[in-house]
Amino acid sequence: MNVPLHGLFLAGGKSSRMGREKASLVVGNVGLTQAARGIGLLRKLCDHTYLSLREGQAAPEGAGQTPVIRDSEEAQGPLAGILGAFRETPAAAWLVMACDLPFVSEILVANLVASFRATPNAPFAAYASSRDGLPEPLCAIYGPASRSILQRHAARGHFCPRHIMREENVPLLSLPVEDTRALENLNTPEDLAEAVAAREIHLAWFGSLAERRGLRQETVLVKAGTAEDLLREIEGRHRLGLDPKAVRVAINDEFVPRDCRVQAGDKVAFLLPSAGG
Amino acid sequence: MTFLVEPHPIDPTPLRAELESRDCGGFVFFEGRVRDHHEGRTVTGLHYEAYRELAGKEGRRLVTEIAAKHGARAAAIHAIGDLVPGDLAVWVGAAAPHREQAFAACRELIDAIKAQVPIWKRETYANGKSEWVEGCSCGAAPSHGPLAKS
Repeated sequence: MNVPLHGLFLAGGKSSRMGREKASLVVGNVGLTQAARGIGLLRKLCDHTYLSLREGQAAPEGAGQTPVIRDSEEAQGPLAGILGAFRETPAAAWLVMACDLPFVSEILVANLVASFRATPNAPFAAYASSRDGLPEPLCAIYGPASRSILQRHAARGHFCPRHIMREENVPLLSLPVEDTRALENLNTPEDLAEAVAAREIHLAWFGSLAERRGLRQETVLVKAGTAEDLLREIEGRHRLGLDPKAVRVAINDEFVPRDCRVQAGDKVAFLLPSAGG
Repeated sequence: MTFLVEPHPIDPTPLRAELESRDCGGFVFFEGRVRDHHEGRTVTGLHYEAYRELAGKEGRRLVTEIAAKHGARAAAIHAIGDLVPGDLAVWVGAAAPHREQAFAACRELIDAIKAQVPIWKRETYANGKSEWVEGCSCGAAPSHGPLAKS
């Protein structure tokens, strides 16, 4: 039988460098707080989703009625939240996501889930950081087998999940090449300003692509430099079957070559070959 | 040199009037109408969708360039929305001092519009199913054989 997969949105951090609660931040003009976006994403993939908070902390904006799990006394930092979740449901695998990952996509997390499902007895499923190759513990799955490992480390005063995963030689997944910055986090107001200003574009969808995407326009945060990079990034997120050789690109209602750079605020459309007349 | 993308039903009368001129001895127009069959299947309806801002710009560019190339005057209008067999989907007109230029401009313009203006169509068949019709990515409609199907 499948291990039940529960989601845990970690919002118990103090956000001291940011100066305000990160889970309540709205990144980009999509209008969702980090909590609303992250919890929504977890709900799509998990049987039940919970909000991890410190003792006495109020829920962040956009968290709605998500049930709350308080930190465990056994540890500090995010590990306290994760052990709190195991205290609640020890038999579940916990898909843990931090509140400061505005670029994480559904497909990235779905791949993590698929990897865990392929080896359900593994204690952990995690990505390797594209920066230093170290484990990314705050967008990861902690299987039921991980609880005793985490407790053993916590008892010795080791509370850093990244170090624990490293010591346990957890096999790591690679981030897709088109999305290597997917797990970049936001720590300071400067990070936030860059994330919002530098990476927000408007996508317009037409014809069968609008149907496949399920919408006609959206505002997205992206990392791409050129139109072709953007196409690969969007294809990596949504698997629409966009073929760079067959698709024409328009930016701000003009056809452009694929190596044209995309700027923040641009309206970008990927167009299948025309079929008028 | 007008190019329009308008909701069905389209009326080419004003475009026709725009092209009429006493120095033009030849006036050719082409009407693309919805056909009741496609690749062996009975078509009961067509839905046209456009990227209107870009289609307008691209269409105006094509009309202007192709008219100039042939020493003609030209205009075109394409319908969007839900059409049924027999409805007018696209109208292209070209007027020139002599018929050769008018024929050539009209022919080149309809081919270019089909290949390059961002408009897509979804066909509905007699069995109730519907599908988007795939365009060709080569962008070179004239090579698609004589009197490419409309």
